[in-house]
Amino acid sequence: MEIFILAFFALGYLVLAGADIGVGMTLPYLGRSAGERREAIAAIAPFFLGNEVWLVVTAGVLAGLFPALEGELLHGNHTVIVTLLLAWVVRDMGLWLRGRVPGARWQACWDGAIVAGSWGLALSWGLLPAHVLLGIEGPAALLPALVVAALFATHGLAFAALRLRGTLRERASVLTGGAGEARTYALTSVALVAVGVLAGFRLPLEPGTSGPLLVPVVLVLIPFLVAAQAWVWWTFRHRVSGPSYL
Amino acid sequence: MHIEDLARLQFALTAGAHFLFVALTLGLATLVAVVQTRATISGNPVHLRMTRFWGQLYIINYAMGIVTGLVMEFQLGLSWSGLTEFAGDVFGAALALETLVAFFIESTFLGLWIFGWNKLNRWAHLALIWVVTLTAYASAFWILIANGFLQNPVGHVLEGGRLRLTDFGAMVANPAAQVAFWHVLCGALVVGGFFMAGVSAYHLRRRTAEQDFFRKSLRLGMGVALPATFLTATFGGLGFDTMQPAKVAAWAGSPERLAEAQAEMVARFGPGDWLPPVAWVQTSGTVMMGLFALMLAVSGVSCLLMLFRPVVRGFRLWHWLLMLMIPVPFVAMLAGWIFREMGRQPWAVYGLLKTSDAMSPVTEGQMLFSVSAFVTVFTVLSVVNYWLLARQARLGPGAVALGDRPIDAPVPVPSF
Repeated sequence: MEIFILAFFALGYLVLAGADIGVGMTLPYLGRSAGERREAIAAIAPFFLGNEVWLVVTAGVLAGLFPALEGELLHGNHTVIVTLLLAWVVRDMGLWLRGRVPGARWQACWDGAIVAGSWGLALSWGLLPAHVLLGIEGPAALLPALVVAALFATHGLAFAALRLRGTLRERASVLTGGAGEARTYALTSVALVAVGVLAGFRLPLEPGTSGPLLVPVVLVLIPFLVAAQAWVWWTFRHRVSGPSYL
Repeated sequence: MHIEDLARLQFALTAGAHFLFVALTLGLATLVAVVQTRATISGNPVHLRMTRFWGQLYIINYAMGIVTGLVMEFQLGLSWSGLTEFAGDVFGAALALETLVAFFIESTFLGLWIFGWNKLNRWAHLALIWVVTLTAYASAFWILIANGFLQNPVGHVLEGGRLRLTDFGAMVANPAAQVAFWHVLCGALVVGGFFMAGVSAYHLRRRTAEQDFFRKSLRLGMGVALPATFLTATFGGLGFDTMQPAKVAAWAGSPERLAEAQAEMVARFGPGDWLPPVAWVQTSGTVMMGLFALMLAVSGVSCLLMLFRPVVRGFRLWHWLLMLMIPVPFVAMLAGWIFREMGRQPWAVYGLLKTSDAMSPVTEGQMLFSVSAFVTVFTVLSVVNYWLLARQARLGPGAVALGDRPIDAPVPVPSF
């Protein structure tokens, strides 16, 4: 059961946050002007806070249910994890800060942080399975990492195509020609889940001893957590009709 | 610098940075929730604008709290895997619950609160900020349960070189955690109260046209800060009963008691230096308590002065004083954490695992990379964020983006 809980949150993160990472990566392509970029960001703005918490919970579940694996996984991939965290921090602050001060240079600077941070995140996520799954270290690991990063970017475009309108929607559908937006999103989601599951199979998933106490609590909580998220998805189910707060 | 010192430095600096932001988050969330409650019930435009202005400052601050918190969560596994492997089955449960019952909901609903402004029913919108506030408290609660366990481990057995949780109730009821939680929560209200009063005083000193707005804000801030200061000190006093003997001895600075604590530890664990760094404990404790006295005096006098409208409007010296007081509760908070954590040394889990045995097997190069990268990024971002906070505070309620109605809102179409 512990493994299913871990998988639920980790895979939920890949599918949900994968989309906002992908939009961040493709931001220069989606939005050619400051106004367009702001609209592209509005596609993910209401979701990114609720998306990244899936990873925070994944780390919490690791700490509570798999403490030995947590240590091994994190310090065993020390440099990749530190890079991942830095990229995450830089991307988030880019999102928060870009609209705080008017001015083209300020916004371009933080849009750059969003793009760089999103690429950093995607590549770090690609390096992890390259280490864990394929056992590749060094520069050769960049190749599988780029494949994973491309998957994130495609997933982001699929999500942007679902959320945006007009020119931005057309640009986002470049790979699909505008047909089957939902199907493309489902397909990239399945691909991300597949990468996550394959990597998971290679991990020594040996639960700690707090399972009997923690597992029932988590199972009771999950419906409430999903309901809270569903409220967000329902509230922002419409296509983006203009800039958001960010 | 030794690798263990680097890991400790990284933890101290990131935890310190995290706490600067989360303390204001906890305090300001409460005040924003109170103001929005009044706005929702009364429909008074001043309260509505107060919600947006203080809410905007709250969000600017919140962003840094999240990103520093991310690093906090991951660095236990990065730098301190000896601790997570030895005690993770016990205090990891508290960390897991923090993410599940607190942060997940807090963050999800905060997004809904920010982006759902003018979209949601106003009572639902009000409920959101209260859920965000209460889950922020819950977050602090579970973190202090985890920290309380490290200070005073209870509810576990040692099996095969690892701890196993046997009594969840005892871990939660741990006095070293409970008292600290209330101490920290009230301290956060002091931070939020002084912040609100100080920013209001800035505008009143500048003879703002928004007299009503900032008088109400100043009164709310000080009205919360005074009782919160009292309660913080009360729980802090109770906390002395839950402290390790060596920490109390270091604080008292009495050579006999220090020798006694050392002798007791040597009897239990063999030869070694078992005392915390006395100078750190004494200095931080003195700073915390000295600043408490200052905050009590200022908030006491201010609560009297704020009753008189002409004084609120025109007493510039007092306005200056309140502005200068903004950083004081932050410094007291950090001093309090240094007192608590330095006083626990040389233990990571008191009496069970030494800090030097809690390290991950990482290289000095890796540690140097992470400490310099995190410190650089957080220094830059903190400076930028504090500048933005000050800028927004200075611009006043006229320039708030939060809760702004979109000028042209075409009819939305469903996307999924």
